Amino acid sequence: MTIALFLSVFLIAACGLIYELIAGTLASYLLGDTVFQFSTIIGCYLFAMGIGSYLSRFLHRGLVARFVSIELMVGVVGGFSSSILFLAFAYTEAFRFILYVVVILVGTLVGLEIPLLMRILKERFQFRELVSHVLTFDYLGALGASLLFPILLVPKLGLVRSALVFGIFNVGVALWSTYLFREQIGRTHVLRASCVVVVALLAAGTVFADRISNAADNSLYADEVIFSRTTPYQRIVLTKWKDDLRLFLNSHLQFSSRDEYRYHEALVHPGLAALPSTRHVLVLGGGDGLAVREILKYPSIENITLVDLDPEMTHLFTTHPVMSALNGHSFSNARVHVINADAFRWLDTNTEQYDFIVADFPDPTSYALGKLFTTAFYRLAAKHLASGGMIVVQSTSPLFARQSYWCIVESVKEAGMRVYPYHVYVPSFGEWGYVLGSFAPYEPPRQLPAGLRFLSTANVGELFVFPVDMQPVPAEPNRLNDQVLVRYYEQEWKDVAH
Amino acid sequence: MLSRREFFGAPALIGLWPKTDRKITGGFVNDSFPLGHRLRDRAPFRAPAQQLRVPIVIVGGGMAGLNAAWHLDKRGFRDFVLLEMEQQAGGNARWGENEISKFPWAAHYVPVPAKGESLARELFEELGVFHDGKWDERALCFDPQERLFINGHWQEGIEPEDGATLRDRAQYRRFMEKINEFRATGQFTVPMERGAKPSPLDHMSMADWMTQQGLDSAPLRWYTNYACRDDYGALAKDTSAWAGIQYFASREPEEKGPLTWPEGNGWIAARLIEKLKRHLRTGDPVYRVARSGNRIRVLTEQTEYISDAVIWAAPTFLAPYVIEGVPHVDAFQYSPWLTANLTLDRIPAQKNAEPAWDNVIYDSPSLGYVNATHMSLATHVDRTVWTFYWSLAEYAPADARRLLLAKDWNFWKEAILNDLARAHPDIRQCVAHIDIMRIGHAMARPSPGFLFSEQRAQWLKPAGNIFFANSDLSGFSIFEEAQYRGVEAAQGALRVVGSAGRPIY
Repeated sequence: MTIALFLSVFLIAACGLIYELIAGTLASYLLGDTVFQFSTIIGCYLFAMGIGSYLSRFLHRGLVARFVSIELMVGVVGGFSSSILFLAFAYTEAFRFILYVVVILVGTLVGLEIPLLMRILKERFQFRELVSHVLTFDYLGALGASLLFPILLVPKLGLVRSALVFGIFNVGVALWSTYLFREQIGRTHVLRASCVVVVALLAAGTVFADRISNAADNSLYADEVIFSRTTPYQRIVLTKWKDDLRLFLNSHLQFSSRDEYRYHEALVHPGLAALPSTRHVLVLGGGDGLAVREILKYPSIENITLVDLDPEMTHLFTTHPVMSALNGHSFSNARVHVINADAFRWLDTNTEQYDFIVADFPDPTSYALGKLFTTAFYRLAAKHLASGGMIVVQSTSPLFARQSYWCIVESVKEAGMRVYPYHVYVPSFGEWGYVLGSFAPYEPPRQLPAGLRFLSTANVGELFVFPVDMQPVPAEPNRLNDQVLVRYYEQEWKDVAH
Repeated sequence: MLSRREFFGAPALIGLWPKTDRKITGGFVNDSFPLGHRLRDRAPFRAPAQQLRVPIVIVGGGMAGLNAAWHLDKRGFRDFVLLEMEQQAGGNARWGENEISKFPWAAHYVPVPAKGESLARELFEELGVFHDGKWDERALCFDPQERLFINGHWQEGIEPEDGATLRDRAQYRRFMEKINEFRATGQFTVPMERGAKPSPLDHMSMADWMTQQGLDSAPLRWYTNYACRDDYGALAKDTSAWAGIQYFASREPEEKGPLTWPEGNGWIAARLIEKLKRHLRTGDPVYRVARSGNRIRVLTEQTEYISDAVIWAAPTFLAPYVIEGVPHVDAFQYSPWLTANLTLDRIPAQKNAEPAWDNVIYDSPSLGYVNATHMSLATHVDRTVWTFYWSLAEYAPADARRLLLAKDWNFWKEAILNDLARAHPDIRQCVAHIDIMRIGHAMARPSPGFLFSEQRAQWLKPAGNIFFANSDLSGFSIFEEAQYRGVEAAQGALRVVGSAGRPIY
């Protein structure tokens, strides 16, 4: 009996500490700045416990029933605390506010527990013994929780389940108390029924735990995440909604399966179809194999070399049933050679020449990526063009990032090539831009491969017409030593986002 | 980037896990003081095994010696040797290489030479860096060039912007206006000898001059102090105001630079060494230079060279210990330096900041670090080498030298990591190896009064047919000064040899 009583103290102490650790961990994980989050959360939590202890004096009668209700409340609020916080982060702007409300609420309730329990037990033990026992088990519980949390709970259960499991422990203590102190309370069946309901709720929560913790991730992605992996190079996320597959690299949308044909047909055919007979093609970037799928529509092509940084990306698009189906299993084609290397460096050490080069890199969101859009890069690429060859460059949006777009055009021009800028409307992207670079004059193609879904000889010429709101603006070329593009790009997308 | 799920699986990051620092290997490398001390203490050297007649002997294979040789070679003169006491030529432009990258041991950049800097432009044209009036984009420091860790985060550029008040900014402007006025006088040139005129500015310290001008903004004072520590290894209060102003007023590049390479100025040195390797003898220190009639005998343990002219491109302070009848160089002061190359097999976590080439920590006694892989064309780098610089400017040079020798590698390793940890708390989990190089007399120090002193003027004149060429004659050690002095000395030597006629073997 005595052991059972103090075991309850041990458990509620452990629960209290777990909720505090969960709030601190979650906040530092979602907001960063660990020191700040842990300091403020521990501070608020302890202060709230003080409020709880103070408030305990105003509770006079029916202490056991009140203790059981408080346990139930701690179980509900604490148990669902990480779920609430994840969802708050995913769907509201008020994460911080909700975070501190939850911390103060749980802290206050936890602060009520020990004073009430001591008052309940004061008849059964000597004061000296009581204080010693309760506090000993209180601190032991804290120790247990703090060891269990990093070693077992976080790695094995995750934050959402850990909170729910400890919520169940709180309710367990409540239920147990209705037996221990049954002669001190009247309506035990009401309290017991409540306990059962709350346990059922918490248990149900554990079933949905993964979905809830995904919510924070999913908040960035409108649709269900069907694949996500962090490679040494990037975070690859694939989402699905009905028949729409979307690929995100570092949270940037790469394609939507519903309209990617527009993007990739426009990337490849205006240049490639205009060349008399193309044998060697180089694709830089484009690890999804979708550009290669388009290039394989030309029977004259002898080989396609694709250079992509991330082996996991090309592996995925070679072997994953859904993704390789999307690119028509182009990476399994004997004419295609996949090389995993850093494109600029690879090109610098390679001496091959190509009839057509596709530069399909992620947008210049950093100085590191910006190197792939510099005059130095285009000069090097130009050296790898066979006589009469052409390069096409994915050049971000001429509408949302107008100066960035024209900066890329200017950079290709600065490398000594004639430039032929064009654009296309891709619903999931908006207006998207490309630029063809060539030493010889260029005419849009009069013939296109069969089976295209967007491009036709009738509309290909129209791509080169820029409406007034996308027409050239002054821009400096992007150089390795002065990456104006990265600054233009950051500014322009910032303006779009706000 | 760590994924969110990995984070949940990594209890260590919650901070409740015991912290494990990894073992870091390394040691002192390239120590040159044992040989220097042997020369100073006039320790016995072996008599040379052979005698050779060589009209011009260049002593010292740093930038001054290499450029003297470059000039002789350009003028079609081939009967010379270039003697370097170390196993590797290059001097302050020495470099190293590991499986990750090449890296510099000291000098790591050259500001983009302006129009008037014809010598530097000539060399860079020959090396393919300057072509048709344009600089090779791949040799110009990539964006972002510099950043400063201040108030707990990184800002772009090293002029403190973060937290600068309106008053600070007004002072920055006023300072730059002053500098522009100085630049307009045409007295602050590169090389300095072209424009320098005796000035009262040389008789006060940079710190005093700033105080006199009412420039007391703390970030501005930090910035100018940093400039003095960086280029001269001295605090602003120990640097001639003329030299402090020279740092800012002598440069007006038309292109965003500087010129740099993964191995720093080692890139230039390596190309000069390759071009001149027929003339180069390394690992054979010169221990005596003595006149003998019209000839000069240059002694190493292997060879006694009988020459008509000698170019002394080694540091000038060594001359009295080697050259017969040369006075001591009391007026010359040298700052000792410590450089370290840190091998990182993980890149420290960076919050909202991309690593720059030059990374400086505000209010740190060190000069920060240069990232060797910055000049790589790669978009993704997961291992790198950092070159960490520390000029020990807060000590008097002699005290700093004593400290440098007294403390062991572990002491300096800890000092370096503690310094870097201010900006990179996880540095100890990223560094695998630290090699440290101690240079007792790394850079000439333009103390107040030195630049226009009688002593310096004396050393600019040849001693007979011995021509002095080290950059320390300019009062500060930078590439362009070394090149200028080397070429000047080569021209002097050629005049001697020319009047003597081409020797016949």
